[in-house]
This record gives sequence, structure tokens and C-alpha cells, in this order.
Amino acid sequence: MRAKDILITGADGYIGMRLAHAYLELTDMPVVLWVRAATQEAFEAKRDRLEQQFSRYEARISYESGDLVKERPFDSVDPRRIRKIIHTAAVTKFNVDPDTAESVNIRGAEKVLKFASQCDSLEALGVLSTVYASGLKTGVISEVPLEDVGFANHYERSKAAAEAKLIRDFDYLPWRILRVATVVADDQTGHVTQFNAFHNTLKLLYYGLLSLIPGNPETPLYFVTGEFVKDAVFRVMQSTASKAIYHVCHTRSESLTLGELVDIAFERFARQQEFNSRRILKPLYADAESFDMLGTAVDTFSGSIVNQALSSVTPFARQLFIQKEFRNERLVSALRDYRSPDPHQLVRNTCDYLVSTKWGKEEGNVVRTGN
Amino acid sequence: MSEVYVEHLSFALGDEKRSVEEASESGLTISKAADLRDAGFTQHHICRPQTTAYDLASRAVSDIKEYLPGTGAIIYSTCLPLNGNIGDESKFKETRDVKYLMDFPASHLQADFALDRAFVIGLNQQACTGVLGSLRLARMLLTSEPQIQRVLCVTSDRFPPGALYEQAYNLISDGAVACIVHTSPGAFRLLACHAITNGSMARASDDETVGSYFNYTYRVIQETLAAAGLDMKDIAWVVPQNTNRKAWQILARLLRFDYERVFFSTLSTVGHLISGDNIINLRALMDERGIRSGERLLLFMAGYGLNWQCVILEKT
Repeated sequence: MRAKDILITGADGYIGMRLAHAYLELTDMPVVLWVRAATQEAFEAKRDRLEQQFSRYEARISYESGDLVKERPFDSVDPRRIRKIIHTAAVTKFNVDPDTAESVNIRGAEKVLKFASQCDSLEALGVLSTVYASGLKTGVISEVPLEDVGFANHYERSKAAAEAKLIRDFDYLPWRILRVATVVADDQTGHVTQFNAFHNTLKLLYYGLLSLIPGNPETPLYFVTGEFVKDAVFRVMQSTASKAIYHVCHTRSESLTLGELVDIAFERFARQQEFNSRRILKPLYADAESFDMLGTAVDTFSGSIVNQALSSVTPFARQLFIQKEFRNERLVSALRDYRSPDPHQLVRNTCDYLVSTKWGKEEGNVVRTGN
Repeated sequence: MSEVYVEHLSFALGDEKRSVEEASESGLTISKAADLRDAGFTQHHICRPQTTAYDLASRAVSDIKEYLPGTGAIIYSTCLPLNGNIGDESKFKETRDVKYLMDFPASHLQADFALDRAFVIGLNQQACTGVLGSLRLARMLLTSEPQIQRVLCVTSDRFPPGALYEQAYNLISDGAVACIVHTSPGAFRLLACHAITNGSMARASDDETVGSYFNYTYRVIQETLAAAGLDMKDIAWVVPQNTNRKAWQILARLLRFDYERVFFSTLSTVGHLISGDNIINLRALMDERGIRSGERLLLFMAGYGLNWQCVILEKT
């Protein structure tokens, strides 16, 4: 049997599905879409959804399932078929609990690596990580292995640990690590499919539920689009260079600061009569301890809406004080035609999308209001 | 502008004390007793059925009656507008005569304390911030009408039967406060008064109220300081309402102010006396810590409406 398939874990996830599209549209490779499913019923439900998405490519797709927290989640996949693996499956919430982070993001990743070790014809293994695997490190952060300087949350810690395990114990594999920045929109139009702490924070601000924001207004924020991530991962996986780390992000000079983000958001929000009439003030920038106090106090002086939203922001709060300068030379070199979008316009478009659709609830209402 | 002084602070609380647990068990709160304790509350005061808001006001004013002669105006504020009428609503329903809706407590106070030369003003749309609003109004009267040299400020509220005794996650007490504002040198010089109203949030949810709390509080304080030509470092004490202590732990950091100098020692035992907390805390500060001559105090309140008010006093 000649190995020719690509295995994508987390294939029903935000990045996984985009990569599946890319491989189906841009290559003739057979694609194994692996999804997390604890039961046959759950698997069938996910498979049905994916089949609708990829009906044009039915002949080239096989669907597999498993659960990273269980033993041997890839037993149903024949390692002899696999030529490439992209591991996107992970719990990516900043407020992931330590046990889940450990079992899915670290031990689960190890199971992927062990499976990869059985794939004799493996040419490329891509492991998706996050730029925030750098944890609390400040200053220049290059595309090299990281040192442990502490973390803001268990998500970061677990992704850093998975990276370290790969480099330490599985260095014989043709690996590449792709550290992805915060995905704020699908593409430059600002359309959002997957909502995360970024969008939740803007929602709290829009509805006047958050008068404090953690961080320094000068802190740079690294935003990317889903399209950029998909293209970057796809291109890096085509490359023959292995044992390399890539920062799937833009540089500091191509990025916004926290203060600029808040200013742009309020400028776009203010175009809405609903927002304007409520005279909502810009938030105050709180130090880390103040915001931690708010996070712990909010149980006693706020309702469930604010509680839920804050719980997605709080674990990330410490990052908003840290001045990081991510370098992406290796990525730029791999992509050759690398281009960074206008970060101001990306945020403007994203804010407009969020407001006009009420954070995705009214998808049909998208109105572009110009620059 | 001539100088205006505030002094002779008094208060009266609801007749019965109840612990937060008792309040919770009686169905008077929404939050859990443990959460209210965590916020700093241990008990509150509620009126017996026969006690009216006017009774509370009368008690508070009785304590300072020796200072009332010469009063030219009474500013009677209530957090709840319904406490601005002591008429019998059932008689209105029976007769359809609205005079039963205009039986004003300020008029009764003037008569009961024989303040014959005082005219009355009712102030009932500033919610929890009423007492600071009445200080501001008193200052306006005193400075614009020289024939008025003494103003009695009274704030009194009791919650109606069946009401929850929790607002925006704070445990409420029934009670009244009173003080005198005048033009003769007295305990505290009134340096600045300032208020912000955001009427578009008149129907704000509790979450929206909390959501606007920090930045509006910060703003009204900064604007008040600016009006007085002062900075936070010029302030010796902040005397806030009796609301969740954690909020002030955060605010003190935002204002770069020592939390130990935020004085609201009655939070635990008095609860949130809707519009009278600052006066009770100010008196407690005088009694417990002493205030030195020249020290400046910043009094702050937030309330429905939404309203934010701030006053700066200087100990003479």
C-alpha cells in the first residue's frame, strides 16, 4: 500500500475544517477527517454535517473518530495510508480546567505523536499551537523552542507542554509547529464564524457591562484571520523543511495595541444609535490585581451574563499587560508572498459585523458601513 | 461665592435588626446570604409595619433640633418617590381626590418642628444620591438667596411592605439622615459638588448598573476634583455609600488611593441606607478616627436614574 492520505484531527473544528477544504480543493490527496466523538451516535452526527459540507469530494474523504482522552484514539486509522498529519484537535478555551488541558492538549497530543510514529511513510507532521504558548515571556519571541517562564492559564501551559514533548521525545518525526495568533475573523471582511474571548469582550463593552478592562493600552495584540491561518498552515505543510517552528501571526508593527482596539471598537459602536444613546463610556484600564479582584468579586455583585463573559476574559487578562514582540521571519520566508492586512480595517470590519449581526445571532443583517 | 458649611449630622435606623441570614430566610434578598456577607454586609435595619418613613425623618431631625432655629428652607429627599407622600392611598382610591397623594412629609416636618420661616423643597428623582443632591441644592440656595442662611437637609426612606431589601446586589436598610447646611463657619466647608445623570440608562438592569459603575464613578470623581482644583492626593478620606466593599477595593486602586482611607465602617452593621449612607459614615469617621482640621473628604454616591454624585468637604 502506498501512503498518500492526509489525516486532519479536529476536522470539524474551525481551523480543521478550513484545512480540509484547502486539501480537497487544492490537492488530489485523499483526506482522512478525524473528529472527536465519544459515541457512534455523536460520530454519525458530526459525519453527517461534514458530508454536507464536502459532498463534492465524497470519494476522497474517509471519516474516522475517537477521543483523545481515551486509549488508542486512532485505532481505526491505518497508519500505512498516512503521508501527512495536521493535528488541530485541542481544547482552545483560555478558561480550560487543568485536568482537561492535561488530558486533551498534552496527553492527547502525545497519542497523536505516537500514532505518527507508526506511520512509516510520514512526510510531514503539523502541530497547531498558539503564540501564547510563550506564556508570560516578554520582549522578542522568536520561532524557536520556548523556555518555561510561567503561564496566564492552563491552555497556554498545555500547549507549551505539548510543544516541549514533541521536541524532546518525538524529534525523529518530520514535525513543524505552527503557533497561531488570536483569530478574530474568518477573513478581511470581518465575518466571524467562531466566537472567542476577543468577541466576548467586545460584546461586554458594547452592552455596557464592562467598565474595566485589564491591561495596558500600549500592549500589542496579535490578530489573524482564519483564512490567513489556513493558507499559512497549508503552505508550511507543503514545504519539505521539517523540525521548524512558525509563528502564524503578523509582526508588532503590523498589529494593533489594546488601546487602539478599544478606540476603534468605540468608534464603530458609536455609529449605532442604540449604543450611542446609552452614553456608554470607554472602559478604564485596570491593573492585573484590580481585574483579578473584579473576577473574584463579580460572583457577588453581578449576574450570570457578566459572570459568564468575564470567565472567558479573566484567564487571558495577564497577557494584556505583557509586551511581546513576535517574530515571523520563518513564516514569511515559507510563504514568500506573505502580506499583512491592515489591522485597523480588520478590526473595523469585525466590529461592524458583530454589531450588525448582534454577535452572530442575526446573520442576515450584515451591513457594511464603510471606513 | 460665599462659603457654605455642613454640620450637625444625625440619623435614625429602622426599628428591627436582622442578620443577612434572617433577611435571606425571610425572602427579602435575591443574593445568597453568604454572598452578601462576602460583600461586607452582616445585618440590616427594617421598619416595623407601623413605622413610616416620616417617623424616621422626624427621629433624625429630633436629634439636631437645637440647631434648627433660623432654618430658611427644608430640602426633603427620598430615594423612593412614594416616600414623598404620607397620605393614605386607600383614601384616594375611595374618594378619587388626589390631595391624598400630596400629603408632603416636608410640610409636616416644618410644622412639627415649628420651622415657620422655612419653605420646603422635595427632591425625589435622584435615587440613592439624594442626600448629596440636597447638599448641592442647599449650597445653591444659600449662595443665591442671602436671606436664607440655614437649610435643613433630610433624607428618609423605608421600603414598602413586600419589597425586596436588595438592590443591585446590596443589602438595604430603612432609615433617615439629617444635617444642616449654613453660611456660618461650621464643621465642614463645602468645597465642590458635582453630578452626572445618564437618563438613557434610567431602566438599566442590575448588570448594566454594575457595568457602568466603575467608569462613571471614576469620571464623576475626577470631574469633581477638577472643579475644586484638587487631585486625589489632596483627599484625606473617601466616604462612600455602603455598597459592596470589593467594588471600593477596585476603585481605590483605579483612583490610586489608599483603600485604608476609604471609610465605610458602617457597611457591616447599617447596610445600604439607600440615600443616607455617606452621612452615617461621615459621622462614624468623626467619632472613630477623628478628622483633622484641613483634611479634605470626598463623598460619593451612585443611584438609579442613573445618577452619580460627588461632594468634597474640608474639615475646618
